[in-house]
Amino acid sequence: MGDNKTPRNIFDGFINAAVTLIDSPVTWFRERVVTPNRESYPWYHQKFRRVPTIDECYTDDVICFYEANSQFKRDKAVDSEILTILRVRMEDCNMFHGPDAEAKCKSLVETYKEAEANWFCKYGDLGFHGNVKDAYMKQKHRMVWERRHGPVGSGMRDAAAAAGDE
Amino acid sequence: MYYMKYYSHTYKFPAQQIRCGGGHHKEMFITPSRFQWNKCKDMVHYYVFLGVIPLSLITFFVNIYVGPATLTPIPENYKPKYWEYYRHPVTRFISRYIMPNPQMEYERHMNVLHEEEERRQLYLLEKKVKQLMAERSDYQAYYYSPNTAIKYYRKMKEVKKEENDRQGDNL
Repeated sequence: MGDNKTPRNIFDGFINAAVTLIDSPVTWFRERVVTPNRESYPWYHQKFRRVPTIDECYTDDVICFYEANSQFKRDKAVDSEILTILRVRMEDCNMFHGPDAEAKCKSLVETYKEAEANWFCKYGDLGFHGNVKDAYMKQKHRMVWERRHGPVGSGMRDAAAAAGDE
Repeated sequence: MYYMKYYSHTYKFPAQQIRCGGGHHKEMFITPSRFQWNKCKDMVHYYVFLGVIPLSLITFFVNIYVGPATLTPIPENYKPKYWEYYRHPVTRFISRYIMPNPQMEYERHMNVLHEEEERRQLYLLEKKVKQLMAERSDYQAYYYSPNTAIKYYRKMKEVKKEENDRQGDNL
């Protein structure tokens, strides 16, 4: 903050002076009063151990389900943040380049689209009360569907063909 | 009588002067209500002197002299305490002295879930047993009603037989 370069013209000098007028008392207060009187102390990001996932739990094991569900919710929060970061990058690129965005931002857009599809595969359409068991069943249904009809996105075969190939 | 300056027009009427021995007269001053003004002063005293000023001072001095923490990677072989996962000193204070340990709450909750599940399994077992006893009627338990009156039936049957033998069928 505060341009300390040599001003190129009078307007530059005026803007420099205005910024310095506001900035220097704050900087003085920070450097003379605040920083010497503080001791720096740390804080950390919590690391959670990986616990058995839902496919490793018995059906009547409530504790295993609770731990798997908590891990699922944590993973969903982390994945949502990752998706947000990718989306912000893509949107910044699009907004910056404007009309050239199709040519200039292709890789960012592709990365984001792929990440969004993967997020939807795992967490989408589960509803507000969706838990890890619902996600697991969703995966099971998708795998059965893919076994009958081929990869997702290639259309449904009719019942006879699907039953024959399965 | 400080208010006499403001309400000099108030009407003073003396109470009964039955006994004026001491010379002082009891007078009632009719004044407009000072309730709103007094309430306003109460609210200013409460919200500003006990709310705004102490909290502002605490915020100012905590942010200046204690300051937020710096994010560092976790050192080797060190397990941070549960309040060391927050940045602002007030949040750390609340987490350390007011709120419970999240890991302790997590494990307590799992213990509650486990106990409730055990109770549920026992209940389901009882329910299954009762259902089978109802279906099969083969166990002297829940659906059993003891026919203890059978000995009276047998006695009455003997009595009736004896009467029938004595009296015959055509009555």
